[in-house]
Amino acid sequence: MLQLVVGQLLNGVIIGTLYGIVALGVTLTFGITGIVNFALGAFMAIGAYTGWYLTDVVGIAYPVAVPLAVLVAALFGLLADQTLFRFTRNNLINGLIVSIGLISVIQSVLLMVWTTTPKNMHYVLPGVINLDLFIVPKMKGVVFLVLLVVILATYAALTRTWAGRAAYAYAQAPEAAKLMGVRTELLQTGVVVYSTALAGLGGALYASLYSLEVSMGASYILKGVEAAILAGIGSVMGSLVGGIVLGVTEAIGSIFFPQAYRDAYGLVFLVLILLFRPSGLFVRGR
Amino acid sequence: MRNAFYRATRLRSVTLVAAIALVAGLNVLPARAQNVVKIGEIEAQTGALNTYGWMSAQGMRMAVDEINKAGGFEVAGKKYKLQLINPDTQGNPQQALIHLKQMLEQDHVKYVFGPFLTNVYKGIEPYATGFDGKFLLMGGATAIHFDLGKPHHGYLMRTWNWDAGPSGFGSLMVANLKKRGAKRVAMLMQNDAFGHVARDIYAPLFKTAGIAFDEEWFEPGTTDFSSVLAKIAAWKPDYVFPGYTDAVLYDIVRQATEIGLTKFWLVRGSLGPGLKNKDALDDYIIYIPKYFEEAQNSEPKVKKFIADYKAFYKTDFPYDQAPLCSSSCYDHVYMLVDAMKKAGTVDDVAKVKQTLMSTIYHGLWNIRYDQTGEEVFNFDVVDIKKGGKIEVTHINPK
Repeated sequence: MLQLVVGQLLNGVIIGTLYGIVALGVTLTFGITGIVNFALGAFMAIGAYTGWYLTDVVGIAYPVAVPLAVLVAALFGLLADQTLFRFTRNNLINGLIVSIGLISVIQSVLLMVWTTTPKNMHYVLPGVINLDLFIVPKMKGVVFLVLLVVILATYAALTRTWAGRAAYAYAQAPEAAKLMGVRTELLQTGVVVYSTALAGLGGALYASLYSLEVSMGASYILKGVEAAILAGIGSVMGSLVGGIVLGVTEAIGSIFFPQAYRDAYGLVFLVLILLFRPSGLFVRGR
Repeated sequence: MRNAFYRATRLRSVTLVAAIALVAGLNVLPARAQNVVKIGEIEAQTGALNTYGWMSAQGMRMAVDEINKAGGFEVAGKKYKLQLINPDTQGNPQQALIHLKQMLEQDHVKYVFGPFLTNVYKGIEPYATGFDGKFLLMGGATAIHFDLGKPHHGYLMRTWNWDAGPSGFGSLMVANLKKRGAKRVAMLMQNDAFGHVARDIYAPLFKTAGIAFDEEWFEPGTTDFSSVLAKIAAWKPDYVFPGYTDAVLYDIVRQATEIGLTKFWLVRGSLGPGLKNKDALDDYIIYIPKYFEEAQNSEPKVKKFIADYKAFYKTDFPYDQAPLCSSSCYDHVYMLVDAMKKAGTVDDVAKVKQTLMSTIYHGLWNIRYDQTGEEVFNFDVVDIKKGGKIEVTHINPK
């Protein structure tokens, strides 16, 4: 049993980083543009399909295909920002409606191009790391490390660079930040594009682990939003921890209860946390 | 004056003759259009659950094209061609219902193939029952089995082997599993209509055979099976009995082999997941209607079918998907045409059904229907061993 629990604890942490990368996008977008971009799951699908296409169909090496997939997701993010999200700044409802509409558009395009038949990428890094107490597929380990590095780098960039501090400043006091010379339009566009790039990265890495189908992002955006709320919207490192807590809750819950209700375990945990800490785990109550 | 009268009369006569000819001509056109037998198909050709529907649709298109190119077929002295109406349901019951309504109410289709998916069948069954006696629905869905022979369900025929019973492939597979010395099997099924039907069928079969049986369920859309597979691994089963389409099988087989679960039994899907993981698994026992790689060397009809497929679609033959063509597919179109010829009617569905029930068709498969309207056909059990070595067992149910 110990082996089972430890193994699933680790698995939950790894899956949790995938939730975390989406949660990071959610929290950044909300903090700077005032909207919850539910289309981030669809951008994840763009990254996943592009990664698969470049690797398996075009024949580009996977490590090269991943940054290209991220770039493609970011370009679509820029397009979406300039044509849609630019007009919904700080309007939660409009942003929500636009992002939900965008999901349908992206899914329809993916359907037209690649149909709904699932795609399976060749095994990029087969094999497992077997340490007696737990077994971890090598590729899952790589995905975990890449996502961890990206989340930590994002945190470092936000706290140690001028642009990052500007973003923080804008999130706390938009008017004051403007007066201090922060180019708010550029900042907002940059954050939207960066969050879609993060989702694209999550998707491209996801493609190396699982089958792809066009609605794959739907559950991940829900988990991402759950993780962001669990951590408290606005907390960068909290997104990672929120994602991990969610992943672990689901994985451990599936050991003791039926796997069929896996999604419910995280949700129940979220409700319990919000009962006691309505602002989330890492944000002080206002 | 007289000449003018004659001219006017002649002009009227010519106009009248022209009008009659025109009306007659117009009548001829619909008469020719009526010499078409419309056949419908409601299958998922794309989507996560398209494993069976896609290949069925491919086979049906080929059969219809071949029959029409050969000049059609003659029934009671009249020549007919086929018109295939086969929209894509994507595995969505609502979509399937819309398509079926259009077929029955607007296109007046009398012969509909499909669905293979139980959830789709359940979605269309209440509506279809209202048309009992007016059309035939020939599908492979497991749930159809339970409605065969029920009042107001005379329109149903099931185009797939049933699991249990003396001719059932499931009974034979469980017997085969017992021979292999299996003592414990873990079922990992999707938490849906078919998954529960499968449990209800197999739990008693395992009990009778003295094989311990554990079950786990997952939600549609699951891609990470690590937790549940780890739990199953702790049970130490001899075989994993996974369900049931390629959409989940690729993930299940990959993740299972990663944690040391290397034996899979009664896989329903394609050979693809087994072949992709051939170096990591020990046994991948799959029930398929036909193992084409072998059959093409020993069965001339199969060889021809493969060549025709390549020519028709101008693509490679999908050896992994093709075996799933059996349900409501290529052979069934020919079988239906034969039945219409023998019955001497294209409209009397009761007569056509009766003829189908009394026919043994020798095509790619040997197909017949039992007294309930359920199909019995020969099938293959393919066992993929470590490294990709393949063993095939041919089974002809009684």
